[in-house]
Amino acid sequence: MATNDSTTNVKRLQVRRYKPEENPETHYLNQEKGLWAWLTTVDHKKIGLMYLGSIAFFFFIGGVLALLLRTELLTPARSFMDADVYNQVFTLHGAIMIFFFLIPAGPAVLGNFILPLQLGAKDVAFPRLNLASFYIYVIGALFTLFAIVTGGVDTGWTFYTPYSATTGGNVMAMTLGIFILGFSSILTGLNFIVTIHKMRAPGITWNKLPLNMWGLYATSIIQILATPVLAITLLLLTMERALGIGIFDPALGGDPVLYQHFFWFYSHPAVYIMIVPGFGIISEVISTFSRKIIFGYWAIALSSLAIAFIGFLVWGHHMFTAGQSSLANMVFSFLTFLVGIPTGIKIFNWLATMYRGSIDMKTPMVYAMVFLFLFTIGGFTGIMLGALSVDIHLHDTYYVVAHFHYVMMGGMVMAFLAGLHYWWPKMFGKMYSEFWAKVSLALLFVGFNMTFLPQFVMGSQGMPRRYFNYIDQFQSFHQFSTIGAYIMGVAFLLMAGYMLHSLLRGKPASSNPWGSRALEWQTASPPDLHNFHHTPVVINGPYDYHKPMSEFQLGIATSHNGHHAGEAVDVSKTEKEQA
Amino acid sequence: MSQTSSTEEKLDHLKHYFVDSDQQFEASKMGMWVFLVTEILFFGGLFVAYIVYRSWYPELYLLASEELDTFWGAVNTAVLIGSSLTVAMAIRSAQLNQIKGLIINLWITIGLACTFMVIKYFEYSEKFAKGILPGSAYSYDGVEHEKANIFFSIYYMMTGLHGIHVLIGIGLMIWLVFKAKKKVFHSGYYTPVEITGLYWHLVDVIWIFLFPLLYLID
Amino acid sequence: MSGHHISSAKFLWGVAIALFILTFITVAVTWIHIPSPWNVVVAIAIAVVKALIVSAFFMNLYWDSKFNVLLFVMSVAFFLLMIGITLLDTLYRTDPIPSF
Repeated sequence: MATNDSTTNVKRLQVRRYKPEENPETHYLNQEKGLWAWLTTVDHKKIGLMYLGSIAFFFFIGGVLALLLRTELLTPARSFMDADVYNQVFTLHGAIMIFFFLIPAGPAVLGNFILPLQLGAKDVAFPRLNLASFYIYVIGALFTLFAIVTGGVDTGWTFYTPYSATTGGNVMAMTLGIFILGFSSILTGLNFIVTIHKMRAPGITWNKLPLNMWGLYATSIIQILATPVLAITLLLLTMERALGIGIFDPALGGDPVLYQHFFWFYSHPAVYIMIVPGFGIISEVISTFSRKIIFGYWAIALSSLAIAFIGFLVWGHHMFTAGQSSLANMVFSFLTFLVGIPTGIKIFNWLATMYRGSIDMKTPMVYAMVFLFLFTIGGFTGIMLGALSVDIHLHDTYYVVAHFHYVMMGGMVMAFLAGLHYWWPKMFGKMYSEFWAKVSLALLFVGFNMTFLPQFVMGSQGMPRRYFNYIDQFQSFHQFSTIGAYIMGVAFLLMAGYMLHSLLRGKPASSNPWGSRALEWQTASPPDLHNFHHTPVVINGPYDYHKPMSEFQLGIATSHNGHHAGEAVDVSKTEKEQA
Repeated sequence: MSQTSSTEEKLDHLKHYFVDSDQQFEASKMGMWVFLVTEILFFGGLFVAYIVYRSWYPELYLLASEELDTFWGAVNTAVLIGSSLTVAMAIRSAQLNQIKGLIINLWITIGLACTFMVIKYFEYSEKFAKGILPGSAYSYDGVEHEKANIFFSIYYMMTGLHGIHVLIGIGLMIWLVFKAKKKVFHSGYYTPVEITGLYWHLVDVIWIFLFPLLYLID
Repeated sequence: MSGHHISSAKFLWGVAIALFILTFITVAVTWIHIPSPWNVVVAIAIAVVKALIVSAFFMNLYWDSKFNVLLFVMSVAFFLLMIGITLLDTLYRTDPIPSF
C-alpha cells in the first residue's frame, strides 16, 4: 500500500484550523425536509435516530411487559395472569429486550450516529445498505408483532427444542422475524468493518482510533461471525416446525442438545454484541470527564478483540445441565473463566484513567461509574456461575436472572444511557437538565438494586426462574423486587420527560460542551448533513488532553471536500493511503 | 491503480462520500468478502449438523448415499466449475473494456447455472417419486436405517439452500447483463461484476465440498 | 494496490482444467475403495485443494489485500472452532442422544 509517491505526497498535505461553527442555521436535521426525506434518507445520523426511536419503542414495550411480570409476582399464587399468559409475557420480554433493544442499541443506534463522525468520514461505506438494514429490522419487527397477535409464543427467548417444535402459538413467525432481524445486524456489522478499514480521515492511524471504534470493530466482527449461525439455526427450527426435518426433534430421531449448541454458538457471542459497544462508550466518557489521557490504550483496545474471540469459546456454559458430555463441561467451564481476564483488564484501566484525573461529575460520567459498579457485580457472579458444581445448584434459578440483568441492564443499559447523555448535545444540539438527569439516575440506581439484589438471594435459596408462582418464603423478596421495578419505571418515565423537554425547550448546546478532544466534537452540534465542511486531519490521539484544543481542529486547507468528483484532487489520495 | 487515475476517466459511478474510484472499489470488495464470511458460517452450521450425525451414524451415510447418483453429481460439479471459469472470463472482459465479451460470458454463465438447476430438478423429482421427501413426509423404505430421514433432511437443507444461492446468482447475473447493455461498466468501473463473481465462486466452492460429502461416500 | 489483477485467458483455462482433473480424481478414487477413514481424508483433501485453487486464482485472493485473505481464513477458522468444540460434546457423550 505504501508506494513511493504516497510518501512524497504526504509533504504536500496542507492543513489549517477549522473552528466548529456554533449553533448552525442548517444542519442534518433540517437540511432535508418532510417525512419522505426521513424515510428514504441514507444519512447515517438520521438512520441512527430512526433506530433510536424504534428501540425506544421496543424498550417501552419490553419494560411494560417486565412490570406486568413483576406485578404478577407480588403474590405467591395467581395474581392476575394465568401460567400460559405468564409464559408468553416473559418470552416476549426476553425476545424484545434482547433482539429488538440490546442488540441494536450499541451498534445500530449510537454506533451508526457516531462511527463516521469519529472517523471523519462523510458517511458509512454503504449508506443504502445501512438504510436497508433499518428496514430489514422493521420487517423483522412486523413478523414478531404478527406472531404476538396470532397466538403468541411461550418458549422463552431461547426457543429450545423439542418444546418449540411442538408447542402451540406462532413460533414460526417469531423465529422468522428474528431470522430477518439477524440480517439487519449482519449488514450493520459489515458496514462498520469496511468503514473503519477504508474511510478513516487523514491521520487516523490504528493507534489513534478512538476506543469506541475498537469496541464497535470487535462487535462487528462478532456480528458477522456469529449471526449467520443464528440464521441457520432458526431456519432449521422453522423447517423443523414446517416440515419436521427431525434434526433437533428427538421424536423424529434428532438431538435437542445439538440445537442448544447451534443456538448458543450465536447467543453467547451475542451478549458481547450487546456489551462490547458499551465498553467503547465507557472508555470515551471516562477519559473525557477525567480530563486525562486514557490509561492503557492498547490494553483496552485489544481486550475488546480478546473478549470477542474468547466469547466464541464458552457457549457451552449455558448447557452444563443439558446433558452434554462431561469433557465438554470441563472445557467450557475452564474457558469461561478466561473471559474474566480481558474484562478485568478493562475495569482496571478505567479506574487507572480516573485516578488523579480532574473528574467532572456530569451525568454521563455518573452513569459510567454506575456501570463500573453494577457491571463488576454482574461479572463476578458470572464467574461463580461458570464453576461447574456451583452451576448445578444455581442453574435456571433467579441467581442467573439477577446475574444477566446486572450484566445487561446494569452493564449495557447504563453504558447506553451514558452514551446517549454524552452524545445527546451532538445529536440534537440541545442540552438536557443536569438536575433531573441525576434525579432519574439516582432513582434508577436504587430501583435497579432493589429489583435484582434480592433475586441473587432468592436464586441461591432455590427459587427457579420462569415460574409464575412460588412458595411463601420468597414473598418478601419478590415484593421488594417488584417495588424496585416500579421505581425503575418511574425513573424511565422521568427520563423520557426531561429528554422530551430538552428536545422542545432545551438550551442550545455548544459544539463541544464537555471539552472533549475526540473528532466528533470538532464539528457543529448538530452536525452538517455531510458531517464536516472540510476533510478533517488528525495529528494527535483522541485522548491527548495535554495538548491544546486548536491541534484537534485541523482540516485539509484546500476547498476540496470530496463532494465534487470532477474537481482536481491533489492530495486526497495520500490521506487514504496514509490512513 | 494507474489506469483509474487518468484524467479522461468516467466518474459517474463515484459516490460523493468516497475520495476516489480505488477507495470505492476496495471498499466494495472488502464488503463482499465480509459478506462471504457470513455465507461460509451460514453453511457452516449445516456442515456441523452433517459432521455430528456422520460421526454418530457412519453406516447411515454409507447406505443413504447409494440413493444419490454420483454421475449427475459429478456432471453438476463440472458445470459449476465451468461457470466459475466463464464468470472469471467475464470479469477479465470487463477489465479489458470488452463489453461484448462480458455479456457473452455472462450469458454462458447463466446458461450453465440453469443447467445445474435443471439437473438438480431431475435429481429431486426422481427422489420425490420414490418417497424420499424432506422431513416427516419421508416414506421411502429402501434405506434400512432408522435415521434415514435425517440424512435426507440434511441433504435437502444443504442442496436446497445451495440451490437458492444459485437462483440468486442467476438473478444477479441477469441484472448485470442489463447493466452491461446500458454501457454502465468499463475498465474503470466494473465493481458489480467483480463482487458478483466473488459470490458466484463461493457458491462453486460450497458445491465442491457438498459433492464429495454427499455423493462420494463409498 | 493490486486490487485490479487481470489474469490471462490461458491462465484461467489452466485453472479450470486443473479443477476438472481434480474432480475426476475425486470420483476415480471411490472406484478403488480406500479403507475408511482414509477415503474421507482423501475426499476432503481434494476438496480443500480445489477450494484453495478457486479462492486463490478465480477469486484473486493470491493477489488481493492481506485483510481479505484474513477474512477468508477467519471464517474457516471459526467454522472449525464451532465443529471442533461441538464434537467435544457429541463424541464423548455416554448416550449419544439422551432419551426424553
